[in-house]
Formats: sequence, C-alpha cells, structure tokens
Amino acid sequence: MSDAANHITLTIDGVEVSVEAGTTLLQAAEHAGVVVPHYCYHPGIPSRPAQCRMCLVEIEGQPKLQPSCVFPAGDGMVVHTTSETAETARKSVIEFLLLNHPLDCPICDAAGQCMLQDYAFETGQLRSRYAEAKLVLGRDRVADDILYFGDRCIVCTRCVRFMEDLAGDNALVVAQRGHKAYIDTFPGKDLDHAFRGNIVDVCPVGALVHEDFVFKARAWDMDSSPGICPGCATGCNVEINVKENQVVRTKPRLNPDVNSYWMCDHGRRILVMANRGVRAEAPMIRQGGELEPASWNEALSWVAEKLSDSSGVAVVSAGASNEALFYTRALLDRLGIQGGTFQVERGEEATLTGFPKLKLRADRAPNVRGAELHDFRLSEELPEVADGATLVVLGDALSGAAADYGANAGFFLYIGSHLVPAARNATAILPAATVPETEGTFVNYEGRVQRFHRALRSPGVARPSWMFLSRLLEHLGGPSGVREIGDAFAVMATDTAGMHGLTWSGLGLRGELLSEAGQPAVAAE
Amino acid sequence: MGYPYSHDLEVGTLLSRHFGNEKARTLEGWKELGGYATLPRALEMDPDAITEVVKNSGLRGRGGAGFPTGVKWSFMPKEPSGAHYLCCNADESEPGAFKDREILRWVPHLLIEGCLIAARAIRAEHVYIYVRGEFFPFSAILRDAVVEAYEDGYVGENILGSGWNCDVTVHLGAGAYIAGEETGLMSSLMGGRAEPWIKPPFPAQSGAFGRPTTVNNVETLAAVPMILAEGADWYRQWGTEKSPGTKLWCCSGHLERPGTYELPLGVNLRDVIYEVCGGAPDGKKIKAVVPGGSSTAMLTAEELDCSGCYEGMAEAGSALGTASPIVMNEDTNIVQAMRRIAQFYAHESCGQCVQCREGTSWTAKILHRIEEGDGTVEDIDTLYHLCEQMTGRTICPLADSVVFPLLSSLDKFRDEYDALIKR
Amino acid sequence: MNDTGDQVKKPLHPAAASSQPFQVADIRPTERLFDDPEGRDRLEKVLSRYPEKRAALLPMLGYAQERNGWVSDESMAEIAGALDLTPAYVRSVTTFYTMYNRHPVGRHLIQVCTCISCHLDEADEVFERFLSETGTRAGEISENGRYTVIEAECLGACGFATAVQVNDRYFENVTPDKVPAILDELD
Repeated sequence: MSDAANHITLTIDGVEVSVEAGTTLLQAAEHAGVVVPHYCYHPGIPSRPAQCRMCLVEIEGQPKLQPSCVFPAGDGMVVHTTSETAETARKSVIEFLLLNHPLDCPICDAAGQCMLQDYAFETGQLRSRYAEAKLVLGRDRVADDILYFGDRCIVCTRCVRFMEDLAGDNALVVAQRGHKAYIDTFPGKDLDHAFRGNIVDVCPVGALVHEDFVFKARAWDMDSSPGICPGCATGCNVEINVKENQVVRTKPRLNPDVNSYWMCDHGRRILVMANRGVRAEAPMIRQGGELEPASWNEALSWVAEKLSDSSGVAVVSAGASNEALFYTRALLDRLGIQGGTFQVERGEEATLTGFPKLKLRADRAPNVRGAELHDFRLSEELPEVADGATLVVLGDALSGAAADYGANAGFFLYIGSHLVPAARNATAILPAATVPETEGTFVNYEGRVQRFHRALRSPGVARPSWMFLSRLLEHLGGPSGVREIGDAFAVMATDTAGMHGLTWSGLGLRGELLSEAGQPAVAAE
Repeated sequence: MGYPYSHDLEVGTLLSRHFGNEKARTLEGWKELGGYATLPRALEMDPDAITEVVKNSGLRGRGGAGFPTGVKWSFMPKEPSGAHYLCCNADESEPGAFKDREILRWVPHLLIEGCLIAARAIRAEHVYIYVRGEFFPFSAILRDAVVEAYEDGYVGENILGSGWNCDVTVHLGAGAYIAGEETGLMSSLMGGRAEPWIKPPFPAQSGAFGRPTTVNNVETLAAVPMILAEGADWYRQWGTEKSPGTKLWCCSGHLERPGTYELPLGVNLRDVIYEVCGGAPDGKKIKAVVPGGSSTAMLTAEELDCSGCYEGMAEAGSALGTASPIVMNEDTNIVQAMRRIAQFYAHESCGQCVQCREGTSWTAKILHRIEEGDGTVEDIDTLYHLCEQMTGRTICPLADSVVFPLLSSLDKFRDEYDALIKR
Repeated sequence: MNDTGDQVKKPLHPAAASSQPFQVADIRPTERLFDDPEGRDRLEKVLSRYPEKRAALLPMLGYAQERNGWVSDESMAEIAGALDLTPAYVRSVTTFYTMYNRHPVGRHLIQVCTCISCHLDEADEVFERFLSETGTRAGEISENGRYTVIEAECLGACGFATAVQVNDRYFENVTPDKVPAILDELD
C-alpha cells in the first residue's frame, strides 16, 4: 500500500522497499541491497537503451522477463532478480557474450576489474559451448591515447552514449550491424575531446584501454586511495591507483555535486607525473655557507633560532593544501610578515556539456579559493625580494622562477617538495610531501572543502608541510605541534572564516561547502 | 482473383480486383474504376467515427502481428497537442511475402486513399509511406501516383476543397528487414539505424519525431476505403468472427501455381496449397510448409488441414503471419532449408540484443556444420537450448522469429537432423 | 514541350524527392553533392518533408549513390555538414544498411536472391551461372567494368522465384539458362 501520493511499496527478493513513483526496478533494488547485474545501463549516462539484456528480472504476474533498468517500479509488485528464470536468462547472456570473446584475460588490462569476468563467476557461466571459429577484429586506435580491442567489445554502447550524451560529440559510433557490429570513429577523425578518457572507465570490459596504462599494472597489484585532482579549481574526486609507489592511473570517483562519475583527460595525466623529478628528501640548512642535510630536530631548531621578525615576502602555491597554507599564515603572522601571493597557471576551459558543472577550469590549480581564504592574493608575477629580506616559499611556486631568485634574501625558507633551481638559493629547505603523499583539504571553485588522502610514500624524510610547520611554530613559542590531520583541521577550522563547524571526519568523502563567511562577493561559476 | 493466375475458388475480390490492369495505376483510370469515391465522405466524418467503423469491421493488421486496426487507431490522442503521423509500412521483407508490392504497383491510388482516410481518423496531417529500398519499380509507380494525386488536389492543401491538409511523402529504405518492425521503421525514417526501441514509449504516445504515430501495413490501409464505403458488416461477410475479411495470400516454393491470391480468411490451408496453387509440381509430394512467411512454425503435410486465420493457425501450432506459405516438396533437405532461413535472420539482426546478434549467427553456423555432415549430438542440444534462450528476451521478436521454424523443424523432422549427424 | 519542341523535364515534386532510385547504371559522378544545383535542389526538397534535418539522411545517402554509384567518405562528410550531423554518425547509419555501396561497383549491380523461396527454386545455380557468365567472383567488378554479382536476401518476389535485381530493375522467374539473355539485355 502506498503511504504518500507519489511513494510506492514493492517487494524485491523478499525485501519490502518504498520508493518514489518513477523509480526503475534496478534503482529500487538498490534500496533492497540488491545490485542487479547490468552492462548498458550506467547511472551517469542518461540514455537507457535496455539492449544488453543482462538486467532482466522476473515480475510475478508478468509473462516475460523485463529489463529492470527501465521498467518502472509499481505499487505492490513482487520482483525476483535471482529466480531460476532470471538466472538462466542472465547466464545465457554471459554465454552469448563469451561466444566470440577472446580468452585475453592473461593479457587484458581489465582482468580483475572486468564486469564480464565478475558476472561470469557470479552466475557460474564460465564457458560457452561454441565450437565455431571466433570472429577476429584486432586492435584499433580511436584516439591519440585510447585503443579499442574489437574482439573484447560487448557492444553495450556505453562509450558511444557517453560521447553523445555527456561530451555532446557524436564522434564514436556503432558501425555495421548484427554480429558484425563494432565501435569506430570516422576515418581520420579520432576522438579529440577533453573528456574522452571517461570512455575507458565506462567500458565494462577491456575493449577500450588507455594507451599509457596498457600492460602497466594488474588490478590486484594496485592500491587505491581517494584523492582530489590537483589539475584545476574544479576539484574532481578521484581514485589514485598506485603500484610500487608510483601512480599508474587516476580514475574519477563519484561526487554528484562536483564531477558526477567523470573527470577530464588533463587531470588523468597530472597525478601520474607526481613525485617525479628531483626531490628534496631531507631538511637542508646553510649552516656553514653551503646547504647541508640535517635532521628534522636540528633543522627546525636552527630555523626557529635564525628566523627573526623582519620585513619579508611570502610566496605560496595554490596547489598547497588548506592545512599547509594555514600553518604558513600562522608562521608569517608570528614573523610579522604580511600579505603573500600566489601565481596560477591558466589554460583553456572545457565543459562536459551533459554535466555542465564539470569543467576543466581556467585556473589550473586545486586550491585557489583556499589560498585566498588564508589571505594570500593572486599575482601575475613573483614578488621582488629586497636585499636581506626574509623570503618564505610554500609549495611548488618557483618552478618557473629565475635561477637566482631569492639569492639576495636575508633568510630564504623553502618549504617545498622539488629542488628547482631557485630552491638552491635557500637558507633552509624543509622537504615537503607532495599532495599524493599526504592528506589534507582543498577548497574548490564553488567553496567546497574536500579531503584528499595519501596514495604514495614520501622519499627520504619528506613530511607533510602542516606537520613540520606546526612543530616549527612550537619551537617559536606556539602551541604543541600536531601529528594528526584531524587535529590540524580542527585547529584550522576554528580560526578560519567559513570553516567554523566543519570537522575532518564530518567532511567525509563528499566534502562540504564553506559557510557564508567563506564565500566570495562574486558567485563562483 | 489471383495474380498472375486466375482460379476457380469463389471469392469476393476486394483488394485484387484490378491487379493486372495497368489503367488502375493512373489517377484517371482509377477514378473511372470508381476510385477516390470514399474520401469525400471521410472528409465530412468525425475522425472517431471513422475509427469506430474500422474497429467494428474487425480488420486486423496485415503486416503479421494481426493487431486490431481500429483499436490501434484509438490509442492516438483525441486532442492533438502537435503533429500526429501515419507511417505506412511498405518495407515488405519477410521471406515469402510479396503482397504489398502488388498493391503498390497495381492499385497505388487505393493505398493513397486508404492512407488519407486513416490519417483523418488519427488526426494526422502527414503520411510517410516507407518503401523498402529494393522496390524501385514499385515505389516508382507509387511515387508517380502520389504526384498525380497532389496535382489533382487529392493530397496536399485543402484536399477536395474540404479545408483539410494532408501531405504524403514516399520514403525509401536502404536494405534492412528490421526496418519493417514499427519502431525500427520510425528509427530509420528519422535518419538513423533501423534499431527498434523498447516500449514504452509506445508509438501512439511518442513515435516518429517524438510525436504520436500510428504504423500500419500496406494491405491493412488498402482495405480501409472499402470498409468505410460499405460498412463493417459488409466486410464481415468474409472471414471468421475473429478474423474478418479477405487476405492476400502469397504462395511460393514448390508449387504448380505460385503467386498472390486474395482469399477469405478462414480458408482451409490445404485448399490454398492444393486447389488454388495446384500442389507441388512434377507429381511430387509435399513435405513441409512454413505457412505465414519464414517467421512461423513449420507444418508437415499431414498438418495442413487447418483454418487459415489468426486463431486457426495459432491452434494448429503455427501462426497466420503474413499468410505467405512457403511450400517444400519431398526432396527438400529440411536442414539445409532451415540453415538458409537462419542465415537470413543472422544477416538482418540489428545487433542491439546479444541473444539475437550472437544467437542467430551461431544458429546458422551450427546448422551449416550439420548440413556439411560435421555436426554432433551436442549440437542438437545446443539448438534446443538456443531456442529457449532466444525466446521472449529481446527488444523485438526477430530472435523469436528464427525459433519458430527452427524448433518446429527439430520437433517434426528430427530424423533429417539425426541422419546428418555421424558422431 | 517547350518552344523548340523538346520534352521539358518536369521539376521534381517534393513528395517524390525521398524516393528516387539510387542504384542506377547511368551515374553522373560529382565531387561535391551540394555545390551542384541539382543536389541543392534535391536537399531542399527533401528537407521540406520532415520536421528534423536528420530525417534527410537516407534520402541524401541515396542521392550520393545515385550520382556517384557508391557512398564515399567524402560524401558522408559532406552530407554530415549539410545536416548538422557528425561524419561518424553518418558512417554508422550508412554501414547499417545493405544497399549503400561502400566501394564502386560495376555498371550493373546484379543481386541474386538466394533466400528460402528462391533457394527452393535453383537460386544457388542462378547465382553461380551469373558468376561464370560474367567471369567474376562475388562482389568483384568484372574486367570490362560492367558487372558486379552478389547474393541478396529476400527481394519480395517469392512467387516468381528466382528473383534477380539488376540496378533498379527486377527480373523474375529466372532460371540458369535465362542468364545469358538477361546479360545481353543489359547495356
């Protein structure tokens, strides 16, 4: 019996659920804790062709099995997703898919994360009784960086429909018909869209692969961490796949308020390059004229002693976390250094037209809002360093600086991860972990505070900036340093406009918007 | 009247009266024969009143499904919020069927009049006649007839001064059996692959160009003018209670006199094959008949004593379909015939549903291997398994269509399969 | 007739624009379909029959083949541009249908139905006879450029087996011994 005007109640696999009218059986089944196997349906792709026939379920009173991805839930319906009829139908879909499917598992990237494998094992349909010659299609290139293995394709058309519905570019299509059907582009017109990499994510099998990932890592060899893409101000939620302390792949993570199921290709490439390059692996202090390695305790004591109230400038990076920026501001306050600037690389925008909130935004840094929140200002150029002045640099802010930048400073404190040429002018280098090597928060274009987590081990004794900066402040007479990110966040939230009431655990994996106080005068877009 | 032969069995000739008369295809000639006499009446009637007459006549869709036409028309909205469309399905591609082409090439104006009356009933102002691409000679005749009709004020603006506008466009397909499925037809018409879509949405809610649409077969629409002219009771003097009227029977295969014959529904299938068509030539016996076009279950020679109507053929374990019996004589290799039928479906599958895309092709390959003497006993089990897995699982019934003849051939001619299997 | 007594060709009626034969012997090749006034006229008339541009696709693909004998990538791209479609989409539609030639064919495209009713009536032999008489293999263009022979699925002439379609003509009741005469008839 329905209890409200547009709520209906039905029974799925013996579990009673109540859903809004218009909900499909597949969606309603999720309420009952049941995931109905499916291929062509994807929650982020609006079109529902119901053509893979995998999600057929039995409805009492209906003569035929119905595709649950489109069939609307009805009041009083009794549905069986694993009845013998439904299971037999599902097994036969697997068998049909396996007819021409090559036994590529040993060399296929999808192995271990393949919906064909998964359902074959789940249904127990592990073989086909096919005795004919298999169709051979070989490998084709559909984009600069994406390969298509036609034999593996199950023609679910998720990739075609992603391009059409989300990317707004009907550049990938089904060619031919019947058992000869395959996916292709127009000759000479490979995919060239800023969001094309998502077709690899939506492919349920290993038919579409990233060329720069192919053969790199097995699903079970990879560790996975939830992160935030540092490529632009959107802050797409991502999953960072790591093998042997290298980022081998970045995939989008669902966040309905930020990026849905998607991310752009620029973001995919960014993190793979993380923690490459010449790293600062140990604290270094110019005790005797040359930069020499020192222990953390030594380095922090020495720096605390040498740093004095003086005039100075600060340069930060909009790629640094809120916590790092907060503690840097705290340090600058204690030193009496006001202001501080950051630069941001800018690039062309690209929108995912089917989910317009998601853009590759012009600001190619993840924490512009965070930097502003901590009173740093955007600047087109690096500030001039007066002779003898103090220079404090946080993050990857000097990669484009002249090799002699900061050489004339009285005290140049470099808090960063990479030993760029200018860093060699520092008086002290405190080696920082890069974003994938630590945890923290960013504030995206919209004012959403989002957590990112560790995916990699830092080299040497590099540490998170917020951690050693809080210790440095302790040396300078401040409160005890923090060792836990939750504590760092708590200290920051108390003191930062718009963050009152937010907690690290409360942010969860979806983030929270800053309150009114943290919002800028002009609405973000 | 049978074309190209005449015969003795007494029938009323409704659709086929003028088959063979070249005069009938011109507007002048057609008017002289009494054509376009019903259109003026329809223009004065309430659209729902027209539908009522057709409903009462019991006319059923002649494209194979046999859905009551008047009922189908009644699904259309009574108060249009925009365009309605009528699609005339002239995509005749069912193996064994060759009746719609006869209407196109002999009495195109009868079809046009039927389309106009139907359009009026469903409140449509544009009729798309979707003709299979291969039918160039016949669509040319239809096309010329449509142009004539435009020039003489029977189609277009202010038809016969009534104030009502209705356009007719003849639109060619390009080689796809599945464009004969109503949603496949609309997909193709709109400029796409002829891929059927799931229902809902039903065509009467959202069809061509997202608008309420009715799709009717050529033979169905050709019957409309006379039904409206003479009335529902008149039409019911032929046929049975559940299958009124006459039907164009397309008889092919091993027959003395193959061809198109208009016969009342309910005629005995035996009579059609032996009396009308003269049985198999050269004194051969008949082994099997696929009675309704290739998408129906095979009947043995002993099973032909059944009523040639929708309910009668269903009772006999097959289906009327398009009333297109394909007759196979005693020398026919049933396995080979079945292989060729399966090959057709494998070629025509649109490819959306895996059961059809893979199943039809697999079926054809297994049958080919058995035909070549390379089959195994497991193959028979597999074929039975395929019949089960291809039934009722897909967006459209193409997969089911190969199961009907296949399953019946396995059940009734198992000995022929067994004879070819050595291991 | 006009003043000089020549037969004046009637302008194409828009209702007939989507049903012109597109498998013809006398092709009139053109590189650009819509730089041609005839092509532009055809496009305009076809577009006028439908509420959406996309519906003009099959008629335009047919027109490309009517002119050139086959549908090339260039034609597909040009049609895509004219109808605000992507070339990939046009390719997807073109390759779905059997009748669009993706390569040039002989002057006479000979399609022999071998589906069940014709199969029961020597269709395979008719097909073989066409191949041997034209000296081709299935799908190839004969050396003299005049013939291409292929099998077809049901042509809708089952009572007049074996059915053979040559370009836009039907030949019915074809038996193997009638094949040479049919070929002689083709220009």
